Amino acid sequence: MSDIINIAGMKKEYKMGKITVPALNGVDFIINKGEFVAIMGPSGSGKSTLMHIIGCLDSPTAGKYYLNSELVSEMKKGKLAMIRNKQIGFVFQTFNLLPHLNILKNVELPLMYAGLSKKKRTQTAKKVLDEVGLSDRLKHKPSELSGGQRQRVAIARAIVNDPTIILADEPTGNLDTSSGADILSIFSELNDKGNTIIMVTHDPAVANRATRVINIVDGLIKDGNIS
Amino acid sequence: MAISLKENLIIGFSDFWSRKIRSLITIIGIVLGTMSIIVVLALVKGINQQTMKWMLERGGLSKITVSRNWQYQNPENVKTYFTWKELQLIRSLIPEAKYFNPQQRHWVRQSYADKEYRTAIYGVLPDFSKIEEWDVEDGRFISDFDVEQSNDVIVIGTTVKEELFGNKNAIGEVITVEGRRLNVIGIMAFRYMKNSGAIGNENAFSYLNRQTFVPLSTMIHKGTGEDEISRFTLKAQDVKSAPALREKINNIVLNLRRGLPVFEVESAKEEAEKMAENQKMFSTIFYIISVISLLVGAIVIANIMLATIQERTREIGIRLTVGARRRDIFFQFLVQTILVTTIGGIIGVILGLSILDIVSNFLGIDLIASINMIFLALLVSSGIGFVSGIVPAIIASKLDPVEALRYE
Repeated sequence: MSDIINIAGMKKEYKMGKITVPALNGVDFIINKGEFVAIMGPSGSGKSTLMHIIGCLDSPTAGKYYLNSELVSEMKKGKLAMIRNKQIGFVFQTFNLLPHLNILKNVELPLMYAGLSKKKRTQTAKKVLDEVGLSDRLKHKPSELSGGQRQRVAIARAIVNDPTIILADEPTGNLDTSSGADILSIFSELNDKGNTIIMVTHDPAVANRATRVINIVDGLIKDGNIS
Repeated sequence: MAISLKENLIIGFSDFWSRKIRSLITIIGIVLGTMSIIVVLALVKGINQQTMKWMLERGGLSKITVSRNWQYQNPENVKTYFTWKELQLIRSLIPEAKYFNPQQRHWVRQSYADKEYRTAIYGVLPDFSKIEEWDVEDGRFISDFDVEQSNDVIVIGTTVKEELFGNKNAIGEVITVEGRRLNVIGIMAFRYMKNSGAIGNENAFSYLNRQTFVPLSTMIHKGTGEDEISRFTLKAQDVKSAPALREKINNIVLNLRRGLPVFEVESAKEEAEKMAENQKMFSTIFYIISVISLLVGAIVIANIMLATIQERTREIGIRLTVGARRRDIFFQFLVQTILVTTIGGIIGVILGLSILDIVSNFLGIDLIASINMIFLALLVSSGIGFVSGIVPAIIASKLDPVEALRYE
């Protein structure tokens, strides 16, 4: 199996005034194509920081991060935006949909920034929304949907550009048990189709769905590579 | 691979539409500003044209006038008028002048049958008609022969004709002026110009229609007997040579009065330039006021945009997350601001043009709109959008995606 994520000696520090707060203290791991990895840890452990760096929303203070064999840890911000657009699909706990756009437009958003024509965008977005079972809600605003439906829109938006990895941050955190289970099933299906999924969670039940769990405590990995 | 302008415009329109009240308030500010620009520009242009028209109607820009300088108190007690001999000398010294007309004016009672009318009578030469570019509509004007012979003839304005003769024919009739009987040989053409200023829409030239004219020699020899002429006008070959001629006459006139500034020599061209200069100051003040009001508008819009960006921090975070680049965010907000101000500008131009008539009637001044003004107003309103949008757009584009996503 080829490694899709290769992180070595990654450190991240935040400066808060005169104090430097360490968030990651030297993290190394590899994620292979097709894996479903859960990143677990208590709050303040650094798992969100790690996810932001994996998602190219933030850059590490030290260390190297290869995504698909590209050294993204040293890329400029403009290039990172392109990586986010093409290679990463985000799913958040709070859905993060744009409230004034209908769900079709929300799903089209990454395609717009990718520079696709209007026609192509609509076509692709409709197809993906169909896959998550929302083809009858295209013109609805997010506020007109249930939590589970909103998260499905978010998943559609995450996969619409056919990304290298799907990053999910507590995707079931705001959902009731049955909607949460639905969402996890969608992730499992996506994984079965060959998608690489990285999910941040603190819920062991959720982590059970993953093929591997990385535990992070105080900015360090504990028993990281045990499946 | 930035998103296109068209895309940005679509986003801009939908943002604009989803925040109707805020957009509306912003637009109203710009509409008022643009309207005032249009009105001010049209006003300034109207006033300038009015002045120029006045100048042209009163004999054009090559006209030169010599008259008593009322600011000079005459402590040396020199003659404050020219004699006929002096005028002949002056004329001989300026052969380059195209036309030359000394004149005398008196207020007299003129009567015909049982009708009487008090008005101004001028003693003039035939050149008067040429200098003023004003001819008779009926009969003929005073000729060289009339002047040589001091003929008892008179040319009257249309108002005088109506007052004394009504609808009857006046040519060939005899008017009595201060006991002397004068033959009516001509009726001057009716003069009209729309008034400017607060007086309303009366004819600014109505005083011309009340004038009457006799040969200067007739006035001197048979009328007053006074060989005292305090005013003469002349015309240069063309507008270009007018200032030089004015200078020459000024020297002649000064020499005749031992260098004392008894007389004032004015050229219409220089007058017009002086007036234009005065009006420039006037219009500059107008412009400054408009610019200040638009700057206030720009600050308000910048403020609104900053508030909007704060509200939309999370949206910016989401857009960054799905692949928007900093310049996409920058253009999204800049285009949106420019869009709002340009829409405001277009409405402002339309409303401004449509209220010109109302303002024109209110002020009694013709307001003149032109294509340039419309472009200028639109340029200014989109410029305001640019100026007020650029700082908020930079701030939006500099947001950190992680921070922006966390924003509640």
